[in-house]
Amino acid sequence: MLQTTQKTQIKVFDTFVANNKKLFHKHPAGNLTVVFLSFFILIFCSLFTPSFAEDKQSNDNSAFAYAVNALNAKSFKAKADAIKIFETINNKQTINTLKALLESRLFYRKSDQLIVITTESENGYHITDAITENKLGEVGKRDIKKIRVNNKLRKQLRGTIAQLSLSNEDTDIRLNAVSEITKILNQDTIDLLRNALEKEKNDAVNELIHLALALWDINSADKNIRLKAISLLGDSLSQEARSKLSKLLDKAEDGTFLLEDAEIRNAAKKALTHIDSQLDFYALIEKIFFGLSLGSVLLLAAIGLAITFGVMGVINMAHGELIMIGAYTTYVVQLLMPDNIALSIFVAIPAAFIVSGLFGIAIERSVIRHLYGRPLETLLATFGVSLVLQQLVRSIFSPLNRSVETPAWMSGSLEINAALSLTYNRLYIVLFSLIVFFALLLILKKTTLGLKVRAVSQNRAMAKAMGTRVEWVDALTFGLGSGIAGVAGVALSQLTNVGPNLGQAYIIDSFMVVVFGGVGNLWGTLVGAMSLGVINKFLEPWAGAVLAKILVLVLIILFIQKRPRGLFPQKGRAAEN
Amino acid sequence: MKTLDKLRETMRRDRVFDFVAEGRYPFSQQGRHTVVPGQLDASHGTILYMENVTVEFDGFKALNELTLYIDDGELRCIIGPNGAGKTTMMDVITGKTKLDTGTAYFGQSMDLTRMTEYDIASAGIGRKFQKPTVFPEHSVFNNLELAMQTDKRVWQSLIAKLNGEQLDHIDQVMNTIGLTEQRHNRAALLSHGQKQWLEIGMLLMQNPRLLLIDEPVAGMTHQEMDKTAELLLSLEGKHSIVVVEHDMDFVRSIARKVTVLHEGSVLAEGNMDKVQNDARVIEVYLGE
Amino acid sequence: MQQPNQQKGIFASILHDDRGGKIFLSVLAVVVVLVSTLNLFVPESAALHVSTYTVTLLGKYLSFALLAIALDLVWGYCGILSLGHGAFFALGGYAMGMYLMRQIGDRGVYGNAELPDFMVFLNWSELPWYWYGFDQFWFAILMVVLAPGLLAFIFGWLTFRSRVTGVYLSILTQALTFALLLAFFRNEMGFGGNNGLTDFKDILGFNLQENSTRVSLFIITALALALGYLVSRYIVTSKLGRVVVAIRDAEDRARFIGYRVEYYKLWVFVFSAILAGIAGALYVPQVGIINPGEFSPLNSIELVVWVAVGGRATLYGAVIGAILVNYSKTFLTGALPEVWLFALGGLFILVTLYLPKGIIGLIEQIKKRKSAAQS
Repeated sequence: MLQTTQKTQIKVFDTFVANNKKLFHKHPAGNLTVVFLSFFILIFCSLFTPSFAEDKQSNDNSAFAYAVNALNAKSFKAKADAIKIFETINNKQTINTLKALLESRLFYRKSDQLIVITTESENGYHITDAITENKLGEVGKRDIKKIRVNNKLRKQLRGTIAQLSLSNEDTDIRLNAVSEITKILNQDTIDLLRNALEKEKNDAVNELIHLALALWDINSADKNIRLKAISLLGDSLSQEARSKLSKLLDKAEDGTFLLEDAEIRNAAKKALTHIDSQLDFYALIEKIFFGLSLGSVLLLAAIGLAITFGVMGVINMAHGELIMIGAYTTYVVQLLMPDNIALSIFVAIPAAFIVSGLFGIAIERSVIRHLYGRPLETLLATFGVSLVLQQLVRSIFSPLNRSVETPAWMSGSLEINAALSLTYNRLYIVLFSLIVFFALLLILKKTTLGLKVRAVSQNRAMAKAMGTRVEWVDALTFGLGSGIAGVAGVALSQLTNVGPNLGQAYIIDSFMVVVFGGVGNLWGTLVGAMSLGVINKFLEPWAGAVLAKILVLVLIILFIQKRPRGLFPQKGRAAEN
Repeated sequence: MKTLDKLRETMRRDRVFDFVAEGRYPFSQQGRHTVVPGQLDASHGTILYMENVTVEFDGFKALNELTLYIDDGELRCIIGPNGAGKTTMMDVITGKTKLDTGTAYFGQSMDLTRMTEYDIASAGIGRKFQKPTVFPEHSVFNNLELAMQTDKRVWQSLIAKLNGEQLDHIDQVMNTIGLTEQRHNRAALLSHGQKQWLEIGMLLMQNPRLLLIDEPVAGMTHQEMDKTAELLLSLEGKHSIVVVEHDMDFVRSIARKVTVLHEGSVLAEGNMDKVQNDARVIEVYLGE
Repeated sequence: MQQPNQQKGIFASILHDDRGGKIFLSVLAVVVVLVSTLNLFVPESAALHVSTYTVTLLGKYLSFALLAIALDLVWGYCGILSLGHGAFFALGGYAMGMYLMRQIGDRGVYGNAELPDFMVFLNWSELPWYWYGFDQFWFAILMVVLAPGLLAFIFGWLTFRSRVTGVYLSILTQALTFALLLAFFRNEMGFGGNNGLTDFKDILGFNLQENSTRVSLFIITALALALGYLVSRYIVTSKLGRVVVAIRDAEDRARFIGYRVEYYKLWVFVFSAILAGIAGALYVPQVGIINPGEFSPLNSIELVVWVAVGGRATLYGAVIGAILVNYSKTFLTGALPEVWLFALGGLFILVTLYLPKGIIGLIEQIKKRKSAAQS
């Protein structure tokens, strides 16, 4: 239903505009006509609107279109009248148009007097029809002319916008309006807010209005109102609340408080400490979150390594390059489907798994297979492989960094309150790494492949005697570990630049995770990665990123003094060899 | 208990005033037996005391309240099914594995739990591994030379030269293990049995009081086995020897006294006939 | 031969059944004499003239060869695959670089007699305490030995004591050099940050741009290499060397015989680090720069491949490997820069798969086959 009415509205718009266009074409003195017409329609509207309530929508539309055109009147008086018309049409488009006017982004096109909303571009402006909201492409600076406003109009505009926003049906718009108004508190806006408060039903909006009122009331003459405002601000986390409160505690140059009333000062002090402790708490949470997200990256990078190193006893120095290949796969997938960036990640994950996995299997079959039981040689040979892969990527994609686009659904952040917001990409990576971790755990614990992998890792000869195709299991295990490295590459491509050195940056950290967590235990890798991530983030503000890294390394060296086999060591006779 | 330990320590007849002896820790330190590596004291005729030793790996008790005494100069065989704790026992004696509870003393005065592998080796306990472990890249001669009881500190090794006496000692041991002809061959080229003998020879070079020998005849031919039995018997009396072995024929050919381990503790002890007729031993070995 | 006469007695016994070593030292002596003469006494226009550039290049190779010997000691003989030996090399180099930096005096761009240019640039007002003493040559030499030695001692003491072995240890050494790389990149560290130390003027009063200085440095490097070889050779033929090899092949056995394995490892590790530091100190005045790039893990691991190519546990094999690989590097990075990493990577794979004993091993195999065919 709703949609069809909207469509008819648009049709009405169009005819109205089309008529007007003709009108303007026929009459070079368009402005005069508009003034004339505006009066006519104003009378018409005032006459008919009450009696045709059911036609309000379509009336609004035509009135809106009329009012928009009326904004281009010559006299400021006429413009003021046009703005008044808008007060009766409360929707998003109105607010946008008025805001555009206020911000001097409302223009008319010289060729046909069409009113357009502009955004600046490199060569001029992108323009949008103010009435139909159709995008009209890009025009030069000389093709359009600004609709001028004076200070009086600006004041009127602000009031109208605020009022319209505050009574808008959309909660988000109301929330936005209140926070906008909070920035320009004066007697007028306070009155607006008080009025809005009476009608407001939504808790979130109410809370915000109360906060704004408290920010005003804090300087009230009435002491009780003041105290009340202070205690209310004490529960808020906003920056404004904090600065207003600390202003109350300002001192004069001779060290005495500017504010004489000690009771209010104490209340303010108390409120401030409360705010600060809250802020500290949320800062701590944020730091832990940063740590966990770093830990997740480490987990993704290290977990494939934990399989090849822990389960197979193979050191794979080319692991970082397999991550890099995963990242480049993401880049290529995005090149192949430029119109579906949002979906590309979901294609890239399996693609990267397969590509890196195949590379891994190729490495295992061609090099590592010949070196089982000689870990140091394996380390050297795979390092050679990593050099070759790096140079390969340099030759194919150039040595420069490639940027991978972040899909829209991954940008932005989750705002928990004024002090704490978590960015979506980090949030998704934490989730993703955990999903990968548990999927891997399931594969190793529940599938036949997992059973065989464990069998081969515990007793190779026996597994062979039992009829397991050991070589096949080796190749698949290595492929699995490498595939997961590829998946890690997809995740990393969302965080950093994709370049030939991407892998190198993570390989040492990944090894540290495995050394710290202990070999042969995926849980060790999880705990190791997360704790290293958190420790790093806690050290960073105190020591700086580089020193933090060095400190973590020193801590690991000291840690293995106590636990040479990591957090979760293997015990017993099996661990001896 | 701690007080009792302290009291016992103070009342020991062999070292009455332990705490005044030179270079000893204060006797009350940590409330434990305070004896530190020193001179071996086997004056009571017993060279190894293991009492109530328990070792646990992740909840699995490899040794469970094991109590075992070895006499000075004795040749003891230890048998038991797989997982009975034989190798773990040797690990505890040589300091490779730390015990969870219990005590292990070498002679009456040396607390093995407080000594490093290096200390234990220099105190006079030699160990042969289950898998023959020699230095493959060194010649037979050099293998024996390295094992010789000398100053084994780093700087001394840098300037060490062999004297005539030491050369004689090496020749003599080489003769005992029958590898004189292989003198300059790399150990990696020796046969399996020869490696086992070389390893025993290396133990002999250490002049140990106690020899721990883990499965000396595994993978040997019959002739080699006989030769090994001969070798071990010739050492009896000069050294205390503990042999862990699976091969019953071999055990029968050398054993005076046999200890049967099962699930980490002693199941039976005595001469071969007595042990073989023990009902519980039969049950463990043959099932019900 | 380069050694003074009175040392010949000791060294003759060292070399007594070391045919490869004798050949290596003789070749080294011939090359040094020939190159120095051809550079100093043959006019530049002559076809036989050896350019100073070549002399310096050879000097660089020789310092790398000394570094390779240092690594061969720990890896070839002791089985410790250090992926961080470049760090000790760089530390030695920095110690020498600091001395050369102080020698610039007021001849720098800013003309500050006390502070090196980069400190003036960073608006530092005084010399940091750890730069004290570096205006004295003897102190710098002491630091060339002490800095890498101390680092190796602390790192080795911590890791060997807790029995970290094999790949774990390799990874940790790599992390060590990586951490130092990050640290030396920081300007606040006071070692010139990204650019490192450079623009040296003279050493002990001799102008570094002078031909004669260059040739002298080349000869000194050759002497150090020969001496380093002989000392290392003495060590590996001593009982200590045999114990170390024993530890490499059967660590537990060595321990149960009564050797303090961790002390032996530590001794060799520290000695090797000092040797690497000396190599670094010889390298810096010849190439004229030291920067944090020397700490990069790639450098250290490249060094491993020199030793692997030449042949482990032979000492002179390490020298051959270092010179061969570096010569190809100079050649390839000049002629076909893109191929170099492919070649290096391929070299790693080829050597580990097909030449586990390196070139020396290959030569011995061929010899054996020949003698087998003859008999």
